[in-house]
Amino acid sequence: MNNMIFLERNVEVEKNKISAQGVQVFYGENHALKDVNVDILDKTVTAFIGPSGCGKSTFLRCLNRMNDTIAGCRIVGDIRLDGEDIYEAAVDPVQLRAKVGMVFQKPNPFPKSIYDNVAYGPKIHGLSRSKAELDEIVETSLRRAALWNEVKDRLHAGATGLSGGQQQRLCIARAIATGPEVLLMDEPCSALDPIATAQVEQLIDELRSRYSVVIVTHSMQQAARVSQRTAFFHMGNLVEYGETGHIFTNPSDPRTESYITGRIG
Amino acid sequence: MTNDAKATFTSIKNPDARTKKRNAAEKRFRAYGLLAVAVSVVALLFLLSSIWTKGSGAFYQTYLTVSVTMSAEKLDPKGNRDPDEMKKVTTIGYSKLIAQNLIDQLAANGIDTSNVSDKNIAKLLSSESAATLRNQVLADPKLVGQTQIFTFLASGRIDGYFKGRVTMESAALDNNISPAQLVIADEMKNIGILSIKFNWKFLSAPDASELRPEAAGLGVAILGSAYMMLVVLGLALPLGVAASIYLEEFATKNRWTDVIEVNVSNLAAVPSIVFGILGLAIFINIGGLPQSASIVGGLVLTLMTLPTVIISTRASLQAVPPSIRDGALAVGASKMQSVFHHVLPLAMPGIMTGTIIGVARALGETAPLLLIGMVAFVRDFPASPPSGFFDPATALPVQVYQWTQRADPAFTERASGAIIVLLGFLLVLNSVAIFLRSRFERRW
Amino acid sequence: MNNEPHIASAFDRDLEAIQAMIVRMAGLVETSLLQAAEALETRDEELADTVREGDKVIDDLELQINTEAARMIALRAPAASDLRTALSVIKIAASLERCGDYTKNLAKRSNVLAQLSPVGGSTRSIRRIAKAVQLQLAGAIDAYIKRDYDMAVEVRNRDKDIDQMYNALFREFLTHMMEDPRNITACMHLHFIAKNIERLGDHATGIAEQVIYLITGHLPEESRPKGSLPSSATKK
Repeated sequence: MNNMIFLERNVEVEKNKISAQGVQVFYGENHALKDVNVDILDKTVTAFIGPSGCGKSTFLRCLNRMNDTIAGCRIVGDIRLDGEDIYEAAVDPVQLRAKVGMVFQKPNPFPKSIYDNVAYGPKIHGLSRSKAELDEIVETSLRRAALWNEVKDRLHAGATGLSGGQQQRLCIARAIATGPEVLLMDEPCSALDPIATAQVEQLIDELRSRYSVVIVTHSMQQAARVSQRTAFFHMGNLVEYGETGHIFTNPSDPRTESYITGRIG
Repeated sequence: MTNDAKATFTSIKNPDARTKKRNAAEKRFRAYGLLAVAVSVVALLFLLSSIWTKGSGAFYQTYLTVSVTMSAEKLDPKGNRDPDEMKKVTTIGYSKLIAQNLIDQLAANGIDTSNVSDKNIAKLLSSESAATLRNQVLADPKLVGQTQIFTFLASGRIDGYFKGRVTMESAALDNNISPAQLVIADEMKNIGILSIKFNWKFLSAPDASELRPEAAGLGVAILGSAYMMLVVLGLALPLGVAASIYLEEFATKNRWTDVIEVNVSNLAAVPSIVFGILGLAIFINIGGLPQSASIVGGLVLTLMTLPTVIISTRASLQAVPPSIRDGALAVGASKMQSVFHHVLPLAMPGIMTGTIIGVARALGETAPLLLIGMVAFVRDFPASPPSGFFDPATALPVQVYQWTQRADPAFTERASGAIIVLLGFLLVLNSVAIFLRSRFERRW
Repeated sequence: MNNEPHIASAFDRDLEAIQAMIVRMAGLVETSLLQAAEALETRDEELADTVREGDKVIDDLELQINTEAARMIALRAPAASDLRTALSVIKIAASLERCGDYTKNLAKRSNVLAQLSPVGGSTRSIRRIAKAVQLQLAGAIDAYIKRDYDMAVEVRNRDKDIDQMYNALFREFLTHMMEDPRNITACMHLHFIAKNIERLGDHATGIAEQVIYLITGHLPEESRPKGSLPSSATKK
């Protein structure tokens, strides 16, 4: 439920963007994720919280099939994006990842120029027909990532010369340049200082009007600040999933309460 | 832990026994390291200086400047300037012509040559000189009848005299030279007929026979080595890099890839002569390629360099952080795109360094080349590529080996000179490797 | 105090929303106080009923403010001045809810007094003290909105004027009761009304003290300046 009391942005929050049913993940013999059922809503920020090793990053990586790159990883269950099963044989993970972008914990810009970083995705997916179109895509992505004003004079400078927060915003710009519908963020602020963290969180709040955002975070406070829905994972199980305000003021499950009040985990 | 108010106060200003022992041990260790470095440096300096003193002489050669009148009666009896006719005049005739001109010149300059026979005066010149002049005249018959100043090589013993190998005492015992000839040589030097100049021919001329060390050069050897390096670069680099990329990025990690990995590492340690035997058996006997050809040498050296390239490429690929690959995949690149657009450019400096080091090592290999027959005496330059790869040639290290086998002490000087040239090439290659590495090194 | 916006604009929106509710609640309380005093003077029963019903809205607002403040504390983990804002909002809402209860009581008693014969001039005095207290409340809320320290101190100091007005009323009603025993019932009601209004004024002062806490980080040290107690057996 979107909290209309606070005069927030008027955003449509209706349909399910991603729905997961009975998802289980095995790393070899290790049963990392047990029977997860969750519906990620469109144009919403959903946060996954939980102690280390609880399976939240594992589940996140299932959503764009990044777990395919890990040898010995086996996934059971149904995950649907806009109603289509993403693990069907006919699905090419490359195309899936154009629709579901990802931002990682440690900012990892390519060691190229800022322009080339953002332009790489659109280029390999053939999203632009001319240089002018590509320039436009780069500018739009950088504007949406709140980075344009800081880098517009040095688009061809190396990306590794930016500060940590700027690099992470560049990675976000790179992710949204391919025109995804979902953004997955795996602890995007854990390598950043508090000011950069606040800037990225403000950015996530702005992105909500265009994309569904799923963010894994080990900081409960961040989940509280930034998300509208929160899912609490514990030891491979999804314990509770609900509206963020409700989870943090009056959670239904005692395990959730214990974790949030700092009694376990 | 209770804090006893009466606990003894330990000062940090005075080191206790254990700290003192530790500091002493560290100082000793540092001294050992310094000593080891000093010993290595001294050994290196010793090696380099001994090579330099022995070999630097090869770059200077004694020349005689003689004015030769190419008289028509001697050189072109028929008078029709026909090269085929003129070929009937052999080098002996030319030799006599040059000798006569030299004697006349000496007499004109007031040098007394009465105590030395004409034949011995001729022997002051290298036997190469007659052949050189003959070739020049045959190539350009218009020279007949003219008088020109030519610069000829002095003979090996004369050259040795000015470099300190031959003395008056040794000349007295030597069949090929006499003290009287040396005296004349001194006088020639005084008036300027004889001079010691930088020997460019050392690098450009082909090898010469045992009797003519003064004319021996590295031309063929350098060209042969260059061709082989081209073959090695052209084959080992693409093959090695491709194999490495496949093994590292695309192959599933199972027992087979482990076996291959172990074998590649072992191959890098195989003695090079084994590759020579392999090359002989496969390329020459079964493959029917010509013996002593640069292509065979190149192929053998490629086999030798391949493990080095594969190993260094693998190391460079592994050094690329997985976050780059993840970033590329997350943006929707396929495995191939992420490898070729991102991983390979970042691994390039390491790959290039490894390749150049491998090539530099191959440049100095002798044993496999001996087995495939590149030890022959080759006087003709191989043709330009691609057919030139199949012409017989020799290589720098092999040339060094050959020259050390010859009796004439002048060849020792030549061999050391060749070592200097070889070391020079290695230095250049390694500098290129360092330059490329530092230029393309990236920080991520 | 820091007037720069937060990097996360949603935080600013939450704070503004919560303070807007306080302002609204205070406005409702002021209005109902004045209306109740007017209903008393004009003996208007309908107006008094409006005031009594209006108290429900005030109570609901307090509940809402508490819920949203709790939510903001849970989700934003506010610190420093933001934390004091959240805490003071809860306290101010509680004070305003009590004020609302007092005005409801005033309206209830005014209906009762409408049935009795009027006591000369007393309702005008009531109206005067009500007006003064309304100004106190307005001043406190104003100081809260503007984060004005001096204004808050002034409101706090003016409380003794209210006390004195109350003391005067006390003596007036005493006089009326002594004059004519038939006035006792009415005067007792009027007295309770005056007492409630004086209590309302205390709450307004309390709000001003919360404002001082919000601005400086601690409550004012000296005790409130008080008017002398109208008791014959006064403890010195």
